[in-house]
Order: sequence, then structure tokens, then C-alpha cells
Amino acid sequence: MNKGKIISVRSFRGGTGKSNTAANLAAQGALAGKRVGVVDTDIQSPGFHVLFGLNEKKMGKTMNDFLHDKATIREIGFPIHENVGNVAGLSKLKNARIWLFPSSISGRDISQILREGIDFNKLNEGLQTTIAEFDLDYLFIDTHPGLNEETLLSIATSDVLVIILRPDNQDLQGTSVTVDIARSLDVPSLLLMVNKALPKYDPVAVKKEIETLFNAPVAGVLPLSFDMADNASSDLFSLRFPEHEWSKGLRGVAQAILALE
Amino acid sequence: MINDITSQLKKIAIFSGLSNDALADLAEKASARKIAKGEALIQKGEIGNSLFLIYKGWFKIVTVDSKGDELILNKCGPGEAIGEMALLDQGPRSATVIALEDADALELTRDVFKDILDQHPDVSLEIIRGYSNRLRFAITYIERAIDWSQKIAEGDYSFIDQSQPLLNTADNDDDKAAQFLSAFFTMVRKVREREDGLKKQLEKLAFEIDQTRRKKDFEEITGTEFYANLKEQAKTLRQKRTQNE
Ligand SMILES: Nc1ncnc2c1ncn2[C@@H]1O[C@H](COP(=O)(O)OP(=O)(O)OP(=O)(O)O)[C@@H](O)[C@H]1O
Ligand SMILES: [Mg+2]
Repeated sequence: MNKGKIISVRSFRGGTGKSNTAANLAAQGALAGKRVGVVDTDIQSPGFHVLFGLNEKKMGKTMNDFLHDKATIREIGFPIHENVGNVAGLSKLKNARIWLFPSSISGRDISQILREGIDFNKLNEGLQTTIAEFDLDYLFIDTHPGLNEETLLSIATSDVLVIILRPDNQDLQGTSVTVDIARSLDVPSLLLMVNKALPKYDPVAVKKEIETLFNAPVAGVLPLSFDMADNASSDLFSLRFPEHEWSKGLRGVAQAILALE
Repeated sequence: MINDITSQLKKIAIFSGLSNDALADLAEKASARKIAKGEALIQKGEIGNSLFLIYKGWFKIVTVDSKGDELILNKCGPGEAIGEMALLDQGPRSATVIALEDADALELTRDVFKDILDQHPDVSLEIIRGYSNRLRFAITYIERAIDWSQKIAEGDYSFIDQSQPLLNTADNDDDKAAQFLSAFFTMVRKVREREDGLKKQLEKLAFEIDQTRRKKDFEEITGTEFYANLKEQAKTLRQKRTQNE
């Protein structure tokens, strides 16, 4: 296999749990001894860094700087494992190898990139350089919801597409189009993950039903959880509460990704 | 009469170890009480000073719930003792006891009980022995209940099919533990039933995708020049990656 897989985490609707899922999947990969990178390509509303305890003050160069030729990938990589502090979940990464490549949270940078758009080749070059320079096994990409140009770019560059959906018809409809696009863009591996599943549904039935609808594997059905909502993206949930049902489901998805050829 | 009372007293847990001599002594010093229908023999909250042995008539044991309504906890009748703990611990009464009909009871006060202890020094030891037996018995039940509670928490109800709760009939106090266990088993059985019921009721999934709209949306996105370019670029990219492998 080619060194370093790009794993893009997507959803049709906002707030489905992409950022939390991508961050926790990356953390699980890192805990399993892999060298992992996490990129925030949600340039419209970046929020990924918060999960890794990075704030505006600590944030240095960003992906925006790279896209405008103002920084090299080397300069952007923020070593999470060296900055875990004493946050309960995050600090379990102190012996791991995991780097964050954040998006700028400055309004000026955001509007500039939205105005100018992202060049596919530039972004792709960035991702490939990231993998090469940091010798990564996996590069997880958090994205903006929906199917706009920049999310299409991230689908086109990825080796694995993880689509997160809620078990309701609106999400299923949107997801069906994303699945078709992924196939049209020849994404090698496609995994579905259900998040925020209501307890009134039987997870086994949900998995079976959705797998049949899309003819694609559902790697996990994760419950809607007050604990998760309460955590409010302040820490890596699956590291902080490893025994929680959500965390167990998440680890199942992580294993499915690590098992891919 | 004294003989009769003696045998009744022997059934009360804390007296079960006493010699007939000591019991006869107790019986003699107990005083008779007549309780009219509707009258309270014991008031919840007041400091207890005596034990009552019901001789005739039925009583209800009541407390008041959060809304102020009377809640009947239990009923008791001839041969049963109420308030025995008061002889030992001087604690407040935990419930009110009201006669359901005109009734007779024997009252044994703590002072009388203390006299008996003075006259029969071995009695104290017997009482302690009796208590530690009951304690050991209760602890065994508690341990099992803890073990089972953990199983329930994990959703494992198999133990109710494997173990038989001792069903109680006797009025002996040790059977409170058996009663607890029996109530515990009933609870678990009901919880399991409810859970099974819920599983069956799990909402039927009604997933549906509008295929016409799916097709239309797909065509809208893929019909642009941007997409055509992207698809080309992605194709080249994937070929390059495969070559590099
Ligand atoms: N299974 C769950 N149960 C309850 N709350 C959840 C669950 N998963 C995620 N959340 C919460 O939902 C909110 C949105 O999650 P997150 O930011 O990961 O989603 P997102 O898809 O990245 O959102 P956006 O589209 O805004 O980027 C967060 O507050 C998170 O804590
Ligand atoms: Mg997000």
C-alpha cells in the first residue's frame, strides 16, 4: 500500500459529529502506535483544534498560510503529543505521535480563502507533503458539511471516506448523493458510521438496513448520548471515557479503518 | 396464660435464645393493653420505649407519603411482635401502628427488659449471639444481591432462572432477608419483562430514499465544469498513487 492514507470524514448535515469523530478516530490510531496527522479543511468554520486543546493564542501557522504560499507544511504541524497538558483524555496521547494542521480562525483569512477558492493541486500537494514530511501512516481530514467545491476536493483526494449520518430520512437522502459522488470519484474505500442514534432504534437493525440501502459497510452505530453532548467537544471523549458505549462504537470504526488494506 | 405468652415470646427474634425461665420472667412482667379500633398503638417519630406482642386483633402499619396521604406498609396480627428494636436502641418509631379493630396486646417496657437482663446475665450473651447469627445471614443475602445487581447492570438476567429464591411463609425475622430476596427477584423479573417488551416495540425503521431526487441532485453536482475537471484530476492522482506503490 502507498504510505500514508488520507481519511476524510464527512457528513451531509452540520453538527452530525464529524469533528469529534475525526479527532477520536485519529487519537485511537495514534494510541495504536500509528503516526497520525489531523487536518482541518473546514476553512469556513474551523473548530477541530479545540478538541486538541489548541486555542487562538497557541496557534501558529495554518493551512491557509500554506495555501497562500506563506508557510511550509513543516512549519504548520503542531505536535499534539508535546502539548497535551493535563486534560484527562488528551493527555493519554503524550507517548503517541500525532500532529495537527489547523485552519485559520481569523475572519480575514477565512473570507480570503472563500473568495479565492482552493486549488485542487495545491491542496493535494499539501496533503502529500504532510504525509511525506511527517512520515504519517494516516492523515485524517475534518471537513465542512455538505457538498460544495472544497468538500468535493477533499473527497477526490481521499483514500478512505468515512460518511457520518444520523438515522433519519433527511440524512439518508443527502448521504445517498455523497455515496454516489464518492463512487464517481473512485474513492477506494467507503465506510459509513451512524452517530446520534436514538435508543428506540435497534442498532443491529439500523446497520443492516443502511448497509442494504447503500451497499456499503456501516462500521458503527453510535448512540446519541448526553455525556457526549455534555463533553461539548472539550476533550477527546473516547480517551476520557473509554468504557462508554460511544467510545466502544468509535473504537470499532477505528479498527475497521486500521484493518483496511 | 403465662405459658402461652412464653411460647409467643420465644418466636420473637431477639428472645429466641432465652431460657424458658427468663421467658417466663418476661411474660410475668409484661402488662396487658387494650387498644380500641382506630387508636394508634405506636406513633411514628416518638421515641420507643417498649415492645408489643399482639394478642388479639389486627393492626395496620402506616406512614405518610410525600403528598400527605396515608400509605399502608403492612398489616400484622395475633402472635406478631412490633417495635422490638426499641428495647435495644431507643430510636424513634419508624411508622405508625393503628388498630383495625378492638385489640389486645402485651407491652414489655425497656425497664422490665433491663431487670430481666440483670437477673439473667447469660441472656445478654444469647441476644448478642442471636444478632450476630442474623447479621451473618443478612450479609450473605446482601452479598448475593450485590453480585446480582452487577449482573443486572450488565443486562444479564440469567441468574433468575438458575437460582431459586427461598419463598417465605414463616413469621420468623430471618425471613425478612428471604422476603427481600423474593421482592428482589420479582423486581428483576419485571424489569426483564419490560425490557423484552421494549425490545419488541423498538420502532420499526422506516428509511426511505427518494431515488428521483437522488439522481437529480447527483446530476446537478456532477454536471459542472468544475466537477469534470476534478474527476480528471482525481483520476490522474489515483493513477499516480498506484504507480508509486
Ligand atoms: N453521539 C452524540 N451524542 C450527543 N452529542 C453528540 C454526539 N456526537 C457529537 N455530539 C455533539 O454534537 C455537537 C456537534 O459535534 P461536532 O462538532 O463533532 O459535529 P460536526 O459535524 O463537526 O459539526 P459542524 O458541521 O458544525 O462542523 C458537539 O457539541 C458534540 O459534542
Ligand atoms: Mg466540525
